[in-house]
Amino acid sequence: MKIGLEVHVALPTKTKLFCSDLAYENQEEPNSNVCPVCLGLPGAKPVLNQNALDISARIAKALNCEINEKTWFVRKVYFYPDLPKGYQITQLDGAIGVRGYVDLNGKKIGIRRVQIEEDPARIIREKDYSLIDFNRSGVPLNEIVTEPDITSLEELKNFIEELRSILYYQGVNINQELKTDLNISLAEKRVEIKNVTGVRNLISAAEYEIKRQSALIKEGKEINAETRSYKEDSNETVSSREKETEEEYGFTFEPDLTFYDTTKLEIPKAIIASNVAKELADRNEYNEKTIRELILFNRRNLSLLTSITREEFKKGVSLIEKFASFGVEDYSEEEFRKMLDKDVSSIEKDGFLQLLGRANNAEKKADEAEIEAGIKEMLSFDKTLFDRGIKDEKAMNFMIGEVKEKYHITGKEAAYFIKKVIKGMLNN
Amino acid sequence: MTGKFLSLNDAEYAVFVSQLRQANERLNAFNFIDENKKSGKIISVKDNICVKGMPATASSKILQGYTPGFNATAIQRLEDNGFSVIGKTNMDEFGFGSFGLNSEHPAKNPFNEEYVAGGSSSGSAVATALIKEHVSIAESTGGSISAPAAFCGVVGLTPTYGAISRYGLIDYASSLDKIGFIGKSADNIREVMEKTVGSDPKDTTSLSTAISNKNSHKLYVIDNLMGGIDEGIKDRFEELLVRLSTKDYKIEHVKIDYLEYSVPAYYILSMSEASTNLAKYQGFKYGFKVKDFSLNYNDFFMSARKQFGREAKRRVILGTFIRSKSIKQKYYEKALAIRHAIIARMKNFLKDGFIIMPSMPIFTPKISEVSDISPVEAYSMDMLTVPPNLCGFPHMSFPYFYERGMPLGAQIITDHFNDYSLLDFLSEWEIGFKYKFKEEIG
Repeated sequence: MKIGLEVHVALPTKTKLFCSDLAYENQEEPNSNVCPVCLGLPGAKPVLNQNALDISARIAKALNCEINEKTWFVRKVYFYPDLPKGYQITQLDGAIGVRGYVDLNGKKIGIRRVQIEEDPARIIREKDYSLIDFNRSGVPLNEIVTEPDITSLEELKNFIEELRSILYYQGVNINQELKTDLNISLAEKRVEIKNVTGVRNLISAAEYEIKRQSALIKEGKEINAETRSYKEDSNETVSSREKETEEEYGFTFEPDLTFYDTTKLEIPKAIIASNVAKELADRNEYNEKTIRELILFNRRNLSLLTSITREEFKKGVSLIEKFASFGVEDYSEEEFRKMLDKDVSSIEKDGFLQLLGRANNAEKKADEAEIEAGIKEMLSFDKTLFDRGIKDEKAMNFMIGEVKEKYHITGKEAAYFIKKVIKGMLNN
Repeated sequence: MTGKFLSLNDAEYAVFVSQLRQANERLNAFNFIDENKKSGKIISVKDNICVKGMPATASSKILQGYTPGFNATAIQRLEDNGFSVIGKTNMDEFGFGSFGLNSEHPAKNPFNEEYVAGGSSSGSAVATALIKEHVSIAESTGGSISAPAAFCGVVGLTPTYGAISRYGLIDYASSLDKIGFIGKSADNIREVMEKTVGSDPKDTTSLSTAISNKNSHKLYVIDNLMGGIDEGIKDRFEELLVRLSTKDYKIEHVKIDYLEYSVPAYYILSMSEASTNLAKYQGFKYGFKVKDFSLNYNDFFMSARKQFGREAKRRVILGTFIRSKSIKQKYYEKALAIRHAIIARMKNFLKDGFIIMPSMPIFTPKISEVSDISPVEAYSMDMLTVPPNLCGFPHMSFPYFYERGMPLGAQIITDHFNDYSLLDFLSEWEIGFKYKFKEEIG
């Protein structure tokens, strides 16, 4: 079995890749974050976002890539309504990073390329027509292209988990942003499953496709080289109706941009959550998985856990778990230190907050945090809910119903929290 | 020296516009003339450069009805310095042409309406000949300033690639497009140019290098480029060289390898880029709009892209072919290599002198003589204007002789960022030369 991935992740930049519009892809008002550049108006020219270049170099380095000394862009030409210029600005030979790998307990999964590219606009399909929202047009992405080195579903899961922990400290949360093209071949012919959204769907799609191809092999039937798509509702992959021809994008150098020198970029040593977790686990003789979850849950936890002694470690971990379970997210290092000296092992929420000095309106605050965390969880489980967000009344009503029931609050309050969380996620 | 430009009060402007409209009915210099009064120094702008609030069609049906909401950087800088745009000048569609005929209403030569104006900046050259003290903001990719300037008896200066921001220029071939100037006095062109040069944060390929005027009295003539030139043109050009040598210019004949490949290299690179730059015209956001929303995507795009003229279609198809995976190395990469080879070889001479040549290999043709020639014949007319354009060298066509009532132009080339030496040369040339025009309004 051979599995290769093309993973698309959105970069955490404030502005778009080639213009100064905000890069929040899901605004309340469609087509409000646009300008001549990301609308592709005649005469407008792209200007590279330096921050996107910096972050991409760091991501490439974290994936053990060689950084091309000179990096440049190409035009990938095809016609689709979400592509305002008739081409996507992306990278190929001059990609920021090449020939990297991800280490899965000694087995290296090759990274062919890390390339910088712009996201097309969003198409919103209605029954009889489609709408286009250019707010997403030009949002910076990295496409991470692996070699077909993954050989089992288990390995795929491990790879994604490792990728998540590598990207996390570059500010990329793949739970929200992951979009993947999945190539799977159990026999000779390669099957590509395009545009799978989210981690859960990626695993389900791979699982289904492995079963499907195995069954065909058992029956002695041939597997067609084809493009398929994953249907979330029925949890299956279906053949796309597109003709199976060699893709011809007529790639050509992007002459509105230039060659970018990467030798002067400062690329700090990557913090990789799984490595740090392993290190901390070894040093403190503690469960690696727990540590990894804690540092992926809140970035502050990394510096807190690395700053404490071996003797304090166990206590520190349970303190962090206490913070999480009592819904306190914004604890400072000072507060952490203060609480570390106290015995909180059997303390209840009220007492804990009292000790922390947050007893005043603590009740209300904790509840709010709890509701918001719950909504966040709901949204990250179901990406379509997040996408449709507050624009879509049906999605909104569904969410209000869920939140109302779970937290015993009014519909109005539920709506307020949902909007607040969505806005917060967009602005993050 | 500062230039002298036409500036009109409100009453004068109304009279001027009505005269201009009358002349325009005969000559088709303008795609659009602005009725609103203008308080500043009058200039016109080629129709592929965006002027806020004025139509920008690049003479293409696919852009009919498009009015940009922003100024090109060059235009913004000129407006900030007291210039006013009176209208948008005619051109070959998207800059595709050497005679101005790839336009729905082709511009006519101001010396004789049976003759071509040259292209692609046809309207800019005609407007400059027609209007007193005029400068038109034009654009050249492979010779679109020199060719019409030579045929219309005006001066055309194409700056170093990158010296002037391309922001707001409707792209033909991004690595070759240069905003430049058509005028009829060195002082006027100098003033407009000084106000537009300099890097622009909105155009990555614009450069901040200072423009110099290192002068030389050495003129190189490239012998292996003179082969395909009309004998009559050669004779007149020889006479020009004699005149220049009496003005202390030293003439030296040289040979530069690979120059004969510059036209094919140019068309390969420019068509390749043009075919991607024209991909944005899809008929649903601006300009021509497809009304039938029941079509599937391919048919929808196709019905929009039928609006392209013949030459635009030809360049999109050929450019797409050139970019295709299997033959990219055969054409595109060779063309790039040729371009670099020619830059190095020309630079070798330009470091201590000008290169001089006729601007066009033929006398101004009648419209009827060239309207049916083959594309390859038409492209070969660019043999002299293409080399400096392909290499991004600044160059200038200036009128030097009138034969049977029609002007002849010669072209001089200098090194990158030495653009002002061309204007110094022109100032010196103007001392003993009198521009002639059939009519002038303003």
